[in-house]
Amino acid sequence: MLNGYASSSSTNPPNSIKLFTGNSHPEMAAAIARRLGLQVAKCVVLKYSNQETCVTIGESVRDEDVYIIQSGCGEINDHLMELLILITACKNASARRVTAVMPCFPYARQDKKDKSRAPITAKVIANMLTVAGANHVITMDLHASQIQGFFNIPVDNLYAEPSTLKYIRTKIMRMPSVVIVSPDAGGAKRAASIADKLNVDFALIHKERKKANEVSKMVLVGDVTDRVAILVDDMADTCGTLVLAAKTLIDNGCQEVYALVTHGVLSGDAIAKINHSPIKSLIVTNSIPHEHLKAQCAKLDTIDISGTFAEAIRRTHNGESVSFLFHYVPA
Amino acid sequence: MRDITVLAGSSHPEFAEEICKRLGIPLGKCKLGKFSNNETSVAIQDSVRDVDVYIVQSGCGSVNDNFVELLIMIAACKTASARKVTAVIPCFPYARQAEAPYKKNGMPLSRVPAHEQMGSTQYKHWTARAGTLVCNMLMAAGADHIITMDLHDPQFQGFFDIPVDNLYGQPLILKYIREMVPNYHEAVIVSPDAGGAKRATIIADRLNMDFALIHKERNHPMHSPNQAGGGGATLDGVTLGSDRMLVGHVRDRVCILIDDIADTSFTITKAAKLLDKAGAARIYAIVTHGLLSGDALKRIRESKIDELVVSNSVPQQAHLEATDKLKVFDITAMFAEAIRRIHNGESVSFLFESVPY
Repeated sequence: MLNGYASSSSTNPPNSIKLFTGNSHPEMAAAIARRLGLQVAKCVVLKYSNQETCVTIGESVRDEDVYIIQSGCGEINDHLMELLILITACKNASARRVTAVMPCFPYARQDKKDKSRAPITAKVIANMLTVAGANHVITMDLHASQIQGFFNIPVDNLYAEPSTLKYIRTKIMRMPSVVIVSPDAGGAKRAASIADKLNVDFALIHKERKKANEVSKMVLVGDVTDRVAILVDDMADTCGTLVLAAKTLIDNGCQEVYALVTHGVLSGDAIAKINHSPIKSLIVTNSIPHEHLKAQCAKLDTIDISGTFAEAIRRTHNGESVSFLFHYVPA
Repeated sequence: MRDITVLAGSSHPEFAEEICKRLGIPLGKCKLGKFSNNETSVAIQDSVRDVDVYIVQSGCGSVNDNFVELLIMIAACKTASARKVTAVIPCFPYARQAEAPYKKNGMPLSRVPAHEQMGSTQYKHWTARAGTLVCNMLMAAGADHIITMDLHDPQFQGFFDIPVDNLYGQPLILKYIREMVPNYHEAVIVSPDAGGAKRATIIADRLNMDFALIHKERNHPMHSPNQAGGGGATLDGVTLGSDRMLVGHVRDRVCILIDDIADTSFTITKAAKLLDKAGAARIYAIVTHGLLSGDALKRIRESKIDELVVSNSVPQQAHLEATDKLKVFDITAMFAEAIRRIHNGESVSFLFESVPY
């Protein structure tokens, strides 16, 4: 079994799942808890007046299987420290196993030394989670799946793809005219895989970047004339890429443009950009809370992925395979 | 000095500039900031290959942001082939267990007591200590050496597997008392709580001064509830406050409160109140780390403290503008000298006793 900790469970008395949550995404924790038929464990995460994070644990975790749900969003560094302190606290309180459940992995894009002396921050985060005492990490759609290799502990990288496919099949439909478009070369594989599963055409937009978060020129490869284009990406941050891609598609005779993105960071003036763009609808998963943005942007729609995480937690706890979730949405 | 680069984190750049001025080297160039999604961005612009890098970052302001920035800077230098990376942390974050969040006064943002939020259970709530975690994180990021000052717990050094130089603010405090407190021989050194007694007695011994102690006494026999708050002196040399007692004579004398951290300043203002009640003539408070968070400044202004003296381990400019009771002593010389000595492989212990010129 993985790392030996799971094998010890056969000799120990059965333990149960304890769900903790930081302040980044309590709704997700509540949804997962509801699905698992549990209560979120009692704990208060505050800040002292000197801005240090203060974690108070309100119930015993001795010999329990602890899952801490914290997404990389909002005040990322504060949420990261909350998560790390929670992990250490549970570990020090003799939890049998601590799993960090991070629907959106923070700093995932800083994953390589792309310039001289650039930090590989994703590796730093991996190290921090390990020294804090995490035994296992569950996340979704890592920007680069190689980040799994930064860890010496098991990392389950779940896919939003099955949920995305379900959304396209049930909500967008109009299948024959649909074309899946990747807004950049890096996402080609992800988009091609979705096109294959839906048995529809695929197109690619190649972009030339001058600086990070700034796109200069876009070239479309593939035919989108009079089609319904679905842009597919793993992350929508400032949305500059998506909006430019949508414009390129419309310029090339596309009928309608949808954008399906796993992690809707939507920072800066993303919402204003989306509102003024030809994108008909932007669909993101709830890996990052965005309900408060819906009032400002009617184009925003949600794919719920709490079920996938709940099922992954249940399967991990029971020692069952998680790979089922790579292809199917749990009922 | 050769093969040395000093980098400034965004928490306290002036501190790093002062150090560089004293060492006679330019400050290393780096660009710090945040991406639009709030992720910290670090770009080191000078080559650090085969160089000793000193990164100056204090545990103040947005502590978590500054700490993560420090970690990323350490990792960036390490992956860029720095020979040795030293974290210079004038005020160490998460160094002390702040008091329990459900304490009544002066404590944090604790809007609602924890046990009310969590409902009553048999389980005793406890607050996590982040100390070891912070140490482990620094080591995991790749720090080879730590320089800090007046750690709240000296045991903290033991949490690290790398060398930690814990400098003392004490020589500078002694100097300040000698130079700035008139007739200091007549004054009394006071520790505002039992935990700081050792720190204060050392200073009293060195200056050959009298010493008094304030002790938080909740269940003292003399201290029955109906007496609480109203009690005057009942024993010789003992003054009772509402929840603490003063041991020692301070009537008509100048008192100097000594502590290591003034955060919400609840402890020292309470102590000053008790000293005033016991008839102190003038009250100084000398503290190494003046975080002065929350409504500390308001509390200081309204307190019986006549002069609060803090070091510049955290930026004090904004605090200075808010209250004229505040005085600042400079510790950058101490850090610059420590860096010089560490870089040259000389002993640092000289600085434990004396002030560098």
